[in-house]
Amino acid sequence: MQIKINNKLYEANPDDTILAVCRRNGIRLPVLCAHPDLLPSEGVCRMCLVESNQSKGLVSSCTQKACEGLEVQTETENVNRARKINLELLWADHAGKCASCKRNGRCELQSLAKEYDVDEFKFVPRRKELESGDELDLVKDNWSHVAIDGKNSSIARDSQFCVECRRCVKICRDMQTVEAYGMNYRSSKTNIGTSFEIPLDCIFCGQCSAVCPTAAITEKDDTAEFEKALGDPQKMVIVQTAPSVRFTFGEEFGEAPGTFWEGKLVAALKRLGCDKVFDTVLGADLTIIEEAHELIQRVKNKGPFPMFTSCCPSWILYVEKYWPEFIPNLSSCKSPQQMLAPLMKTYWAQKEKINPDQIISVSIMPCTSKKYEAQRKEINASGYRDVDMVLTVRELARLLRKKKIDPRSLKEKKFDPALGVSTGAGVLFAQSGGVMEAALRTAVENITGEELGKVEFEMVRGESGARCAEIGVDGLKLRVAVVHEIKNAKNLLESLKKGESNYHFVEVMACPNGCIGGGGQPVPAGPAVRKARIAGVLARDKGMPIRKSHENPVLKKIYKEFLGHPGSEKAEELLHTEYVNRKT
Amino acid sequence: MNILTKNWDKINPLDINSYIRTGGGYESLRKCIREMNPAQVVDEIEKSGLRGRGGAGFPTGEKWELAANTPAKTKYFICNLDESEPGTYKDRVIAEKNPHQIIEGLLIGAFAVGAKRAFIYINGHYRKQNEILKVALEQAREKEFVGHSVMGSAIDIEIDIFQGAGAYICGEETALINSIEGKRGEPRLKPPYPPVKGLFGKPTVVNNAETLANIPFIIKRGAKIFSQIGAAVSPGTKLFVLEGAVKNRGIHEAPLGTTSQELIYNSLYGGGIESGKEFWFAQIGGASGRLAPAGKLDQPLAYGKSEYTLGCGSIFVVDKSANIKDLLFSWADFFHRESCGKCVPCREGTYRLWEIAKRLKKNNLQKKDIENIEDILWTLSSTTFCPLGNFAAVAWNDAMRMFGREIFNIELGESEFV
Repeated sequence: MQIKINNKLYEANPDDTILAVCRRNGIRLPVLCAHPDLLPSEGVCRMCLVESNQSKGLVSSCTQKACEGLEVQTETENVNRARKINLELLWADHAGKCASCKRNGRCELQSLAKEYDVDEFKFVPRRKELESGDELDLVKDNWSHVAIDGKNSSIARDSQFCVECRRCVKICRDMQTVEAYGMNYRSSKTNIGTSFEIPLDCIFCGQCSAVCPTAAITEKDDTAEFEKALGDPQKMVIVQTAPSVRFTFGEEFGEAPGTFWEGKLVAALKRLGCDKVFDTVLGADLTIIEEAHELIQRVKNKGPFPMFTSCCPSWILYVEKYWPEFIPNLSSCKSPQQMLAPLMKTYWAQKEKINPDQIISVSIMPCTSKKYEAQRKEINASGYRDVDMVLTVRELARLLRKKKIDPRSLKEKKFDPALGVSTGAGVLFAQSGGVMEAALRTAVENITGEELGKVEFEMVRGESGARCAEIGVDGLKLRVAVVHEIKNAKNLLESLKKGESNYHFVEVMACPNGCIGGGGQPVPAGPAVRKARIAGVLARDKGMPIRKSHENPVLKKIYKEFLGHPGSEKAEELLHTEYVNRKT
Repeated sequence: MNILTKNWDKINPLDINSYIRTGGGYESLRKCIREMNPAQVVDEIEKSGLRGRGGAGFPTGEKWELAANTPAKTKYFICNLDESEPGTYKDRVIAEKNPHQIIEGLLIGAFAVGAKRAFIYINGHYRKQNEILKVALEQAREKEFVGHSVMGSAIDIEIDIFQGAGAYICGEETALINSIEGKRGEPRLKPPYPPVKGLFGKPTVVNNAETLANIPFIIKRGAKIFSQIGAAVSPGTKLFVLEGAVKNRGIHEAPLGTTSQELIYNSLYGGGIESGKEFWFAQIGGASGRLAPAGKLDQPLAYGKSEYTLGCGSIFVVDKSANIKDLLFSWADFFHRESCGKCVPCREGTYRLWEIAKRLKKNNLQKKDIENIEDILWTLSSTTFCPLGNFAAVAWNDAMRMFGREIFNIELGESEFV
C-alpha cells in the first residue's frame, strides 16, 4: 500500500510503523526510546509524535502501524510544540551537567535539546530542589530518587541522567535474557534500577550502556587512572588493542563505520604517550592455536562436547551464573586479551630485561565486560595482574578529545613488532563467527596435515543469531555452531540440555554480531552500522598476506623460544584457566 | 425502574439462599446453560444495547462477540472491580450488598465467550468486599454454580479473586491484565485489544462489575425490555454516586438519559443543594470528569453522545463556599500520584502540575507557572500514551476556562485536542 507523509506518497507494508517508513525514506524523526535493536517500540518518550488523519490527537510514529489511506504530517506546529514541551519536561528532570558529562556531545537528549532550543530550565530541576536548604518544603517533597551504582568494575549507573526511556530494560530482557533492570516506584518517582536496588550484578556485557541515550548507564570510567599511569615516569605503559577496535575507532572521529583505522589508532596511542602498542590479534592467533589443540584433544578423548569458545567474558559469566553444568564444556583457553597480557610481563619483559613490576598493561577493548575479566582473581598468570586496566573505545576517544589529539591529523603508525604481528584469522575475532572460522582454518589443517585450498568458511559467516554447519574433515563430520546474543545462546543451551541437538564446537558471543557490536563500542549503533563494520573486517582478512593463525611468524618464534608446544606445561600455566560455579 | 438496587436490602449478602429465594438468583444462569447456547447469549446482550459502565461505554455485546469469535483454546473473563476513581464507590456497594449479582453475570459472560477461567480483579483497599465475595464464591461453588460441571452441565468455569494493590491505572483493562500477569501495572499498546489478545496472550473480556450486574436481568427479562429502559443510545439504568453539597449523598439508581439537573434536584435522587449552600458547578464522572456550570445541567447523561461524558457515573456537586485552589490541588495530587510513570508527558507533566498546584494553594504562584500550566495541560491532553494523562487535564482545563480569570487573571484558549 501507499501512505502519505508530508504530502508525498511512500510505499509501506501493513507491518511497518510510521517511523520505519520515515527512516527508510530518510525522513528524520526525533526519538529517545525507539531503537533499531529494540523492536517493537513502546511509545514511551513521545518525541516521535506526528499528526495523522486517522486520529484526533497526536500519535507516536514508533507504535502506529501504516494503514490504507493514512496521511501523516511530521513537522506541524502542534507536533513541534509537543516535542518541545515534552523535551523541556525531561530536560528539567535531567541532571544538566553537560560540561563534565561522559556523554557530552554524544548525548541524544542534549542533541535534541539543541535542535528544539531547550536552553534554559523552564521548570525547577528536581535535583536543585534537593540541594536548596532554604526551600525545606520542596526538599521534603522531592520525588526524584537517585540511584548511583559504581560497585562493579564494568558499568556505572547514575539515574540523575536517566530519562526513563527503558532501552536498557528492554535490551537486557529481550536480547540478553538477564533482566538485570526494571522499573522501580511509580509516577514521577519512577526509577530504572535493579530489583530492590541492589548493586548491579549481571554479565556486564554493557549493551545497556551502548543503547542508553544519555549518561545514565555508561562504561565505568578508567581514563583518569590511565592518565595517571601515562604521567608516571617510573612506569612503562604497554597497550594492546582488540581486533574490532580498529574498525570502529574512526566512528568517534567522524569516519564511516567499518573504516580500517589501525594505523591511526596506534599513532594516537603513541601520541598519548604509550611506550609500546601491541596487537591483541596476536593473542587471538595464540588462542586459536591453543583452542584448536584443545578441540583435537577432545576429539581424541571423545568429549566433553560441545566445546564452547571462551573469548567472551560475558558468556563465561553467563555460564558460571546460570548454567554451571556446562562449565566442563567451556574451553580452558583464556581470551586473547588474557593470553597476550601474561606474555608481555613474562616472555617480552624477560627478553627486554624489564622488571614486570614497572609495566602497566592496558587494553583498549570494545567491551565493558573485559574490565571485569581483567579483575578476575585467577587471572594473574604472570605473577602480577596480567591486565592492569581496560579502556573501552569510547573512553579512549574521550581521552583523546580531552587531550585535543585528533587522529585524523596523525600519521599512521605500525604496531610494535615484538608482539604486534597478526593474521587475517585473528582479525576475524572482531565479529561473530570469526573465532570459529579462524579455529577451523587451523584445526582442519592440523587434522588433515594438508594445506587448505580455500581458507574461507562461508557457512559460519552471516548475521543470523544462530548458525550451524557440518564440516567433513578426514572422515570426521565436525558439527559446529555459531551464536551471538545471549537469548540465542540460551536457546542453544536449552536444546543441548534436552538432547535435541549436539555439536562438537560452538562459538558464543554475548553481543549482537560479536565484538563489533560490543557494549563499549561507539554509539549510536544498530544493525546497519554493524553490517558496515563486518564488511570492514572481512575485507581486511581478505587483504592480509597471512590468514591462518598457526602461520603467524612471531607466534612460531614464541613457541620455539618460550612456550614449547600447544598445550605444554608452560602454556597451561600462562594461557589456560579454570571456571567457578557462581550460581546462587 | 430498579434493576441493580432492587433487592439490595432484602438480601443477606453472606447467604446464597437468600439471593436465590429473593431475587430468583441464578435462574438466568440456569436459563443460559439449559435453554440457550453461547451464541444466543452473546446475541441477547448485543440486542440489549448494554454499554460498559466502567467509563468508556463500549458496547458489551460487541466485546463479547469479538472474544467469542476469536479462535483460541483458552479464553479468560475478568470482572473489573478495581474501582478507584475518587468519589466513586458504586461497584464496592454492589459487591457488598449483592455479590451474587456480579458472580452470576460473570458466569454468564464466561459461558457466552467460552472462558473456563474467570477472575474478579478487586481494588486492594476493598478488604471487606473481598471477604464477602470470597464467602459468596465458596457458597456458589458448593451449589455447583462455580467450578467443575456448572449445574451438572459439561461446562467448567473457575472463578478466582485477584486482589490488586489499589492503583488507579489498573482499572484500565490492559494495565489490569498486566497486573494479573504479575507485571507492572501499565497500559499496553492497543491494538491488539484484549478480546483478541489479552491475559497471557489469550482472548479476554474485561467488564466492569456494574456491567456484569446487569446481565442476569437482561437474560431473565429479555433484551427487548432492557433496551426500552433509559436512553436509546445507551439503554438501562445506571448507579449514580452523588457527592458534595447535595442533600442525599450516596448511590442512586436512575435510567440513563436522566439529566444532572434531575439527579441533583429531584427528591427521588439528590434532593437539591444542602441548605445554606449555593450551587457553583458539578463535576460529572469522577476526578477525570468535566466541570458543568449551572446552565449545562440540563443535558441528559448517557453513553454515546453527550458533551459531559458520564464516566463512571459520579456527580460531585461543588458549592460556592469551596476553594477552587484546593480542588485544583487535589486533582493534581491524585493524578500525579497515580500516573504509572511510563510516558514522559504524564510522568513529568502531572508532577509539574502538582508542583504548581502546591504553589497555587499557598498563593505563591510564579509568573512562569501560568505559562507552564497551559503547556502542561496541552501536552497532557494531546500527547500521552493512555487516557490517564488526558484525564489529568480535563478538570484543570475546564477550571482554567471557567475561572482562569478570577484565579490568575488569565484565560486559556480553546484547545483543539480537548
